[in-house]
Amino acid sequence: MKPFEYIAPRSLEETTALLARAGTDATILAGGTDLLVEMRRPNKMRKRVVVDISRVSELGGMITSDRSVVIRPLMTHARLQHSELLRIAAPLLASASAAIGSPQIRNRGTIGGNIMNAATCADTVPPLIALGATVTLRSAAGTREMPLSSLFLRPYQTIAAPDELLTEIRFPGLTADARSAFIKLGRRNALSISRLSVAAILRIGRDSRIAEARIVPGAAFPTWQRVTAAEALLLGERPSARLFAAAGACVSKEMILQTGRRWSTEYKEPVIAVLVRRALEQCAAPALPEDGK
Amino acid sequence: MTTQRTHIIGRGERRVDAFGKVTGKAKFAADYSLPHQLYGATLYAEHPHATITHIDTREAERLDGVFAVLTAKDIPGENAFGIVIKNQPVLACDIVRYYGDGVALVAAATREAAEAALALIRVEYAPLPVLTDPEEALLEGSVKIHGDSNIFVHHKVRKGDIENGFAEAEIVIEKKFKTQFIEHSALEPEAALAEPAEQGGIRITGSVQNLFSSRRSVAAALNLDLNKVQIVQATLGGSFGGKDEVMTALCCRAALLSLRTGRPVKMVNTREASMRESYKRHPYVLSYKWGAKNDGSITAMEITCIADGGAYASMSPFVTWRSVVQATGPYRCGNVKTDVYAVYTNNTYTGAMRGFGSPQVNFAIESMMDMLAEAVGKDPLELRLQNCFETGAETATGQTLDHHVSLSEVLTTAADAAQFSAHWKSFRGQTSGAKRRGIGLACSYRGVSLGAEGTDAAGTIVSVQTDGSVIVSSGITDMGQGAQTQMSQIAAEVLGIGMGRIQFLNTNTSRVPDSGPTVASRGTIMGGSAAKRGAEIVRSTMLKVGSHMTGEATGALDFRDEHLVRMSDGTHLATFAEVAAECFRRGLPMYGFGWFQSPKTSWDEERGQGEAYFTYVYGANIAEVEVDIETGKVDVLRFVAVHDVGRAINRSAVLGQFYGGVAMGLGYGLLESFDFEEGIPKQLNFDEYLIPTSLDVPPIRPVVIEHPDPAGPFGAKSIGEPANELAAPAIINAIANATGRRITELPATLERVLLGHALSRTGERGSQHKTSDESCKIRPAGL
Ligand SMILES: Cc1cc2nc3c(=O)[nH]c(=O)nc-3n(C[C@H](O)[C@H](O)[C@H](O)COP(=O)(O)OP(=O)(O)OC[C@H]3O[C@@H](n4cnc5c(N)ncnc54)[C@H](O)[C@@H]3O)c2cc1C
Repeated sequence: MKPFEYIAPRSLEETTALLARAGTDATILAGGTDLLVEMRRPNKMRKRVVVDISRVSELGGMITSDRSVVIRPLMTHARLQHSELLRIAAPLLASASAAIGSPQIRNRGTIGGNIMNAATCADTVPPLIALGATVTLRSAAGTREMPLSSLFLRPYQTIAAPDELLTEIRFPGLTADARSAFIKLGRRNALSISRLSVAAILRIGRDSRIAEARIVPGAAFPTWQRVTAAEALLLGERPSARLFAAAGACVSKEMILQTGRRWSTEYKEPVIAVLVRRALEQCAAPALPEDGK
Repeated sequence: MTTQRTHIIGRGERRVDAFGKVTGKAKFAADYSLPHQLYGATLYAEHPHATITHIDTREAERLDGVFAVLTAKDIPGENAFGIVIKNQPVLACDIVRYYGDGVALVAAATREAAEAALALIRVEYAPLPVLTDPEEALLEGSVKIHGDSNIFVHHKVRKGDIENGFAEAEIVIEKKFKTQFIEHSALEPEAALAEPAEQGGIRITGSVQNLFSSRRSVAAALNLDLNKVQIVQATLGGSFGGKDEVMTALCCRAALLSLRTGRPVKMVNTREASMRESYKRHPYVLSYKWGAKNDGSITAMEITCIADGGAYASMSPFVTWRSVVQATGPYRCGNVKTDVYAVYTNNTYTGAMRGFGSPQVNFAIESMMDMLAEAVGKDPLELRLQNCFETGAETATGQTLDHHVSLSEVLTTAADAAQFSAHWKSFRGQTSGAKRRGIGLACSYRGVSLGAEGTDAAGTIVSVQTDGSVIVSSGITDMGQGAQTQMSQIAAEVLGIGMGRIQFLNTNTSRVPDSGPTVASRGTIMGGSAAKRGAEIVRSTMLKVGSHMTGEATGALDFRDEHLVRMSDGTHLATFAEVAAECFRRGLPMYGFGWFQSPKTSWDEERGQGEAYFTYVYGANIAEVEVDIETGKVDVLRFVAVHDVGRAINRSAVLGQFYGGVAMGLGYGLLESFDFEEGIPKQLNFDEYLIPTSLDVPPIRPVVIEHPDPAGPFGAKSIGEPANELAAPAIINAIANATGRRITELPATLERVLLGHALSRTGERGSQHKTSDESCKIRPAGL
C-alpha cells in the first residue's frame, strides 16, 4: 500500500470543501471494504489523500418524507438488513443487503460505497433501480439529482466528478399491493460475489392481472437497467408459470443482445431465465419467505 | 487388542495451546521481532519458464535503507534442495521454471524500502516455451523442464494377471477422471525471523512444519554444520502439509540475508506471495478401467495416474507412492496393474497436502464403485460390503491385513446413521422439481504414517521437574492439529497426573532429536508412542523411589490422581511432587527420552509388492445433498463421518479433525480450484480462491469407532488425513444419485453440474473455453 494522507472531516461542508481543494488527488472512504482491497493491489491506487467520511453525521441515517424513503450513504448493510422501515417499504432491498458478504462486511460496508464502487455485482443496485431510486451528488459547487440508472457509465465508473459526494438515495416506498423479490446466485452461501442476481417487483391488480412489473438483473448486463421488453410481456396478463418462464427467456435474450456471446454465456443464458422466473414466482406467491439466497 | 482402562486417555481434555490462542498470547512467527532487524523480500520470476539473461541490482543497492541485494551467486553452499530429488533452487540461477521462483532478495530497514528496492532490480529474461499440461509432458517432443525427460516418478503395482482378469470379466467400466490444484489455505501465511547466532551460525524462528528437513537445506545452502543451524518452531497458524519446502526456501533466504548483513532479518509472505510461491495439492489425471462379474465381484483393475508435479520434485515421489499403494481402494481384486507417474510442468510445484495422494485416487475409486453398482444393479453399500477388505484380506500390494479390519463395521455404522440405503433408493430417478435430493457414500483404507516410503522414527522428551511439574518436548510439531495435547495427555496418563502439570515446548531442532517430518498423520502414533516411552522411563525411576519411601514393592504401586498410590486399596501414599523431590534428593534422573521406531515395512519397487504400511485405518463418509438442477448449485445438507481411529486419545481433538476434514473435503468437491493460465496463477487471494464458509458446511454427525491397534500408543492410530479424503467422492456420488449425471472432474462447480463441463475465462475477453469432461464408457466385456 502506498503512503497517503488521511483526513476525517466532521461535517458535510468541510468534506465538500476538502474535496474541492484536493481535486483528483483525493478518494473517499466510507466503510473501506472496497477501497482497502483496491488500495492493496500493486500499481493500482495512486490517490494521495484519503477522505474518511464515516464521521460525517449528516451522511448517516434513513428517513421517510412524503412517501419517499431517503437513505443516506453511510447506512450499513447490516442496518438496512434489519430495518423495519425497509421490511415494509422495500423488502427486496433488505434482502439484498442481507445477502452481502458476511456479518463483518455488512457491519462496515455502506450502501453509498456499494453504489459508488459501481461493480456489476453490487447487490443493492438492482433493487434500487427496480425501486426507481434517484441519487443526489453534492460538491462545493452545488447539488444535482438524477435517476440511479443514469449514474453509471460502465463497470466501476460513475459520472460523479472527483469532488462529488453521494449524499442521498431516494425512492418511493412500495405500495401495500406490490410484491418484491431479490434472488442472488453465488458459488457459496456467504462471502460470495453474485454470479447472477435478479430484483423484481410485481403489482397485481384487483382483476388478478399484472398491473406493474419491474425486472432488474444483476451481474448480467454491462450496466443495470430494467428489462422493459420482459416487463411488457407481463403487463395485463394473469400470473402463470408459463408467463414467468417467457419473461425469463426474454431477459436472457436481451442479455445476449447486449453483451454478445462470452465465455460465461453458455451458463448465464439458461440460468438468468430461471432466476427471473423464480423471482416473479416469489412475487406472485407472497406467502413464500424472502431470504435473498 | 482390548481397550486398556485409562484415566485421562480418551477424554476431551482442553488443548494445551488453547488459552494462548484465545487470549492472543500465542506468538506466531510474524509476531517475533528483534532490535536492529531488517525486512527481507523476494523478487519473483516474471515468466513461468525463461532463461535469465541478465540481472542488474545496482540501482536497488543504491536505494536508501537497503542493506543487501542478493542473487543466486551469493549463495555460499548448495543452491538446491529437495527431499528425494534435489532440484529446487533457493534462488533461480539461470532458468526460472515457475511463476513463483525467487530470483533475488532484498534486505532493507523497512518493508516499504524492501518493496521499493525489488522494483528497481532489473532482470532480463529470454522466455522459453511453457509446458502446463501433464499429459503433454509425457510426450517425446514436449518441452523438457529438467534433464531429458519430464517423467520423474513411475510407481507400479503388479498383481495377478491383468489380461486374465479382463478375460474373466463380464462387464468392463472405463473412465477418466481429473482433479485440480488445491491451495492449503492455512490462516497464517509463511513467516521467518533469522538472526546470526552468538557462536556463529544462524537461529531461525519460523512457521516451519518440518524443521529437520528445513534445517538440512539451510545448512547445505549456507555451508554450515547442522549444529550451527537452529530452527525454532513458532506457534503455527495451520499448515495442512503446506509449510515444508516453501518454508525451507524462506528460511534459507532469511538466513542468507541475515548472515550477509549481520542483522536479524524478518520475512513475512503476504497472502498473494504465499499463493504465488507455495506448492499445491497435485492435480491428477486418472484413467480407471475395471473388469467385473455380473454379480459385482471385481476381476481386474487397470489404473494409470498422471500427477502434475509442477516445476520441482518436492514430495511428489512420496505422494504418488501412497497413491499407487491405495489406488485400488479397500477392495479385493486378484488382478491389478497400476502405474502412477509424476511429471514436471511449468505450473507451481506440488507437494504434501492433507491426504497426500489419497484424495485424488479416492475420488476415482469411489466414483467407479458407484458406477459398478449401477451397472450390476446393486446398491452402493451392498457392493462395497461385498468387495471390501476383511481381517486377513490381501491388498493389491500382497500385504495380508492381520490387524482388525473394521471396514464393514465402519460402512454399516455410517449407512445406519444416515439411513443410506432407503434414501438412496428413494432419491433415484427423481423427475420433478428443480431441487433434487441425493445421498452418496465413500469409504477408504489408509496406510498409517510414512510406511515403506522412508525411515520412520520419532523422539519425545519427558522431563519431570523437582516440584513435580513436567516439561515435554518432541521432534513432532504441532501445527494446530493438537499434537502437543495428545502427547501431553499420553505422558499424563503414564505418570498419573493432570494436564495442568504439563508444559509443552515448541520444537527446537537443537534440543530434540530429528524425528522426521510431521506428516502422514503420524504425530500421535509416532510422537505419542515416543512420549509414552519417555514417560515410562521416568515413571519407573519414580516408582523405585516410591518403593523406597513407602516400603511397598514397586509392583504394588501406581501413580494416580497426582499421587503415589497403593494399587490394592487406592490409598494415597505420597504426592507426585513429593516423589519428584525425593528423586532429586537421591540424585536420580527424572528425564525420560522416548524413542519409537515404527514396525517393519517392506517394498519391492519393481513389482510394487510389499508390506506397504505397518497398519491401516478405515473410514466412511456419507453426504446428503440438494442439487438445484436449474442453476447447478449444490448444497450439502447433512453429513455423516465414521472413522476407526484405533483409540481416541483426545475425543475433542478427534472430532475437530472429523469436522475440519469434512469442511476441507467439501471445498475440494465443490468449490476450490487453483487455476493457472499459461503457468500464471489466476487468483492470489481468497476473494477469488473460494473455500467453504460456515454457511456451506452442513451439520456433521461424527461416529468414532475404536479398535485399538497394538502398533499405537494406547491403541491409537490416526485421523488427520483420513478425515479429509472422503468428503469429495461422497458428495460427487450424492450428486449422481440426485441428478443421474456423474461429475468426473473436480470441483463440481455450478457450470459442471449444470452443463457437464467447466467454463473458464481465457486471456481474451469474450472468448470461450470449454473443458469437456470425458463421457463414460460402460460396455459388456469383449466389445
Ligand atoms: C469480503 C468481501 C465481501 C463482499 N461481498 C459483497 C457482496 O456480497 N455484495 C456486494 O455487493 N458487495 C460485496 N462486497 C463489496 C463491498 O463490501 C460493498 O460494495 C460495500 O457496500 C462497499 O461499501 P464501503 O462503505 O465499504 O465502501 P468503500 O470501500 O469505503 O468505498 C467504495 C467506493 O465508493 C466510494 N464512495 C464511498 N462512499 C461514497 C460517497 N458517499 N460518495 C462518493 N463516493 C463514495 C469510495 O471512494 C470508493 O471508491 C464485499 C467486499 C468484501 C471485502
